[in-house]
Amino acid sequence: MMKELKFALYAIKKNIQSSAELRTSFLMNVVGMALNNIAFIILWVFFIKSVGNIGGWTVADIIGLQGFNALCYGIVFSVGIGIRKLADYTASGSFDRFMLSPKNLLVRISTASFSASGIGDIIFGIICLGIYVSLIQANFFQVFLILFLIPFAVLVFFAVSVMIASVSFLFIDASSISDGLFWFFSTPSMFDGGAFQGAMRFIFTFLIPSLLVGTIPVEIVRDISMGKLLLISILAIFWFVFSIKIFYRAVRKYESTNFMTFGN
Amino acid sequence: MLILKQSSDIFMKKILKKLKLPAKIITTLIKDRIQYPSRLVVDTLGIISRCVVLIFLYWSVFKLNNGTINGTTFIFVAWSIFFYFAFSVLHLRDIARLMMQDIQTGNVEILLSKPVSYLSYKMWWQFGAGLYSFLIITILGTIVLGLTVGFPATMGIGIFIPTLILTIVCGIILSLYLYTIIGLLAFWIQDVLPVFWIVDKAVMILGGSYLPIALFPPLMKKIALYTPFGASQFITHTIYETWQTDWYQLVGIQLFWIFLFGVFVYFMFKKAKQKVSVNGG
Repeated sequence: MMKELKFALYAIKKNIQSSAELRTSFLMNVVGMALNNIAFIILWVFFIKSVGNIGGWTVADIIGLQGFNALCYGIVFSVGIGIRKLADYTASGSFDRFMLSPKNLLVRISTASFSASGIGDIIFGIICLGIYVSLIQANFFQVFLILFLIPFAVLVFFAVSVMIASVSFLFIDASSISDGLFWFFSTPSMFDGGAFQGAMRFIFTFLIPSLLVGTIPVEIVRDISMGKLLLISILAIFWFVFSIKIFYRAVRKYESTNFMTFGN
Repeated sequence: MLILKQSSDIFMKKILKKLKLPAKIITTLIKDRIQYPSRLVVDTLGIISRCVVLIFLYWSVFKLNNGTINGTTFIFVAWSIFFYFAFSVLHLRDIARLMMQDIQTGNVEILLSKPVSYLSYKMWWQFGAGLYSFLIITILGTIVLGLTVGFPATMGIGIFIPTLILTIVCGIILSLYLYTIIGLLAFWIQDVLPVFWIVDKAVMILGGSYLPIALFPPLMKKIALYTPFGASQFITHTIYETWQTDWYQLVGIQLFWIFLFGVFVYFMFKKAKQKVSVNGG
């Protein structure tokens, strides 16, 4: 386990170094993504201004929600963007080189690539959470809760990304299918949490865990809800274990399309 | 009289020759999409994953607000969101990324040396690639939404269909020009993705995707009206009551941006071509 972690950290370090070589492009991606994310804040602030507070959700909560979302997206898709490229790897036959690697397959794929724009997401997420903390005048325990919830939210996001990527082994045009599935998961995670009531809340918490990424964490911090904290901890671990099982089961379906190359 | 007839024949021949390339591209791509329906399945999945989820969420938001927000009812919001996402099935925005790829990989050198205009080929290809999915999804979506949510009264007026088609055509041309400008930037800055994200988000916000224009505050509504980002998505305005009186003004705004961006694309492409050196081989 430690050996795999050490390898992952080494791969991430090398990826960052390689990406930072093209300094202008790196900085443009970071700044561009951070600016791009502001759009969601503008959107939902106007939404609340027009619609009013739904289910007790305020502008501050929306900022917190976008903070959690961006941070999860940034962490998973900066250092682990390889998992999002799995469909391309399988389609081109490049997946063979991962199969032949003696390292852990999932770690090897996830850390195969790096996205500079993910750093922009991370910076944006941290700023949003900082603003959220000051807007709700969070106490020490609430700040601790935010820090405690980030790994669980990231775990859920990563687990769902792995499950969606597993589709790559089942379809030919998997890239577009996985994009569609990813939108299905991520669209509700960006929406005002107060709108999810009754059946909708159940579906997007237990069946499609979109709300576990940002909505539930914000509600836990706001209401200091221990019940929801327990729920997210259990569900995050469940989704993570389940996604790994799904991934390795799906790998068995892989058929190489390689034309005698080692991929790119 | 004979000279007039001859010149008219020559003119018609020229027009038909010009239309030969687009017709060939579109028919080939439609045949391809019919033969391989996976793209349609993916587009349908995409529209379900975003549009249907959003419509469901707005349904619950309107229910919580006793059916009316900002003087608008759910039916208008649902149709506005549907029109936005149906239009997005054309994937016109992808032209920027594809052009960037052509430039980064050097493929543009080969394409520029062909006897057809690179830009017109790219634009027609982009339009043709999404046309089949757009038609099927729009027709099916209209039936499903009509049966579940109902049709707003504004859709029954005589000018609705002709003006809808007109604003779609203008929206397509404007979107292609807008994203072509971003694609052409790759001749100077290579990685245009950060610019693409910002423009794309401006289109997303001002076009009325997640927040329909009926729910916009007055200032934002004005920005959406007078900027090219909002103008490219005027299809979402067609279902509102104001469309009957404002449609010519909105189409006028679209035409203005089309003219301006058309001139800009022309000169930008001219400058860009000077930066390319075809090495042959």
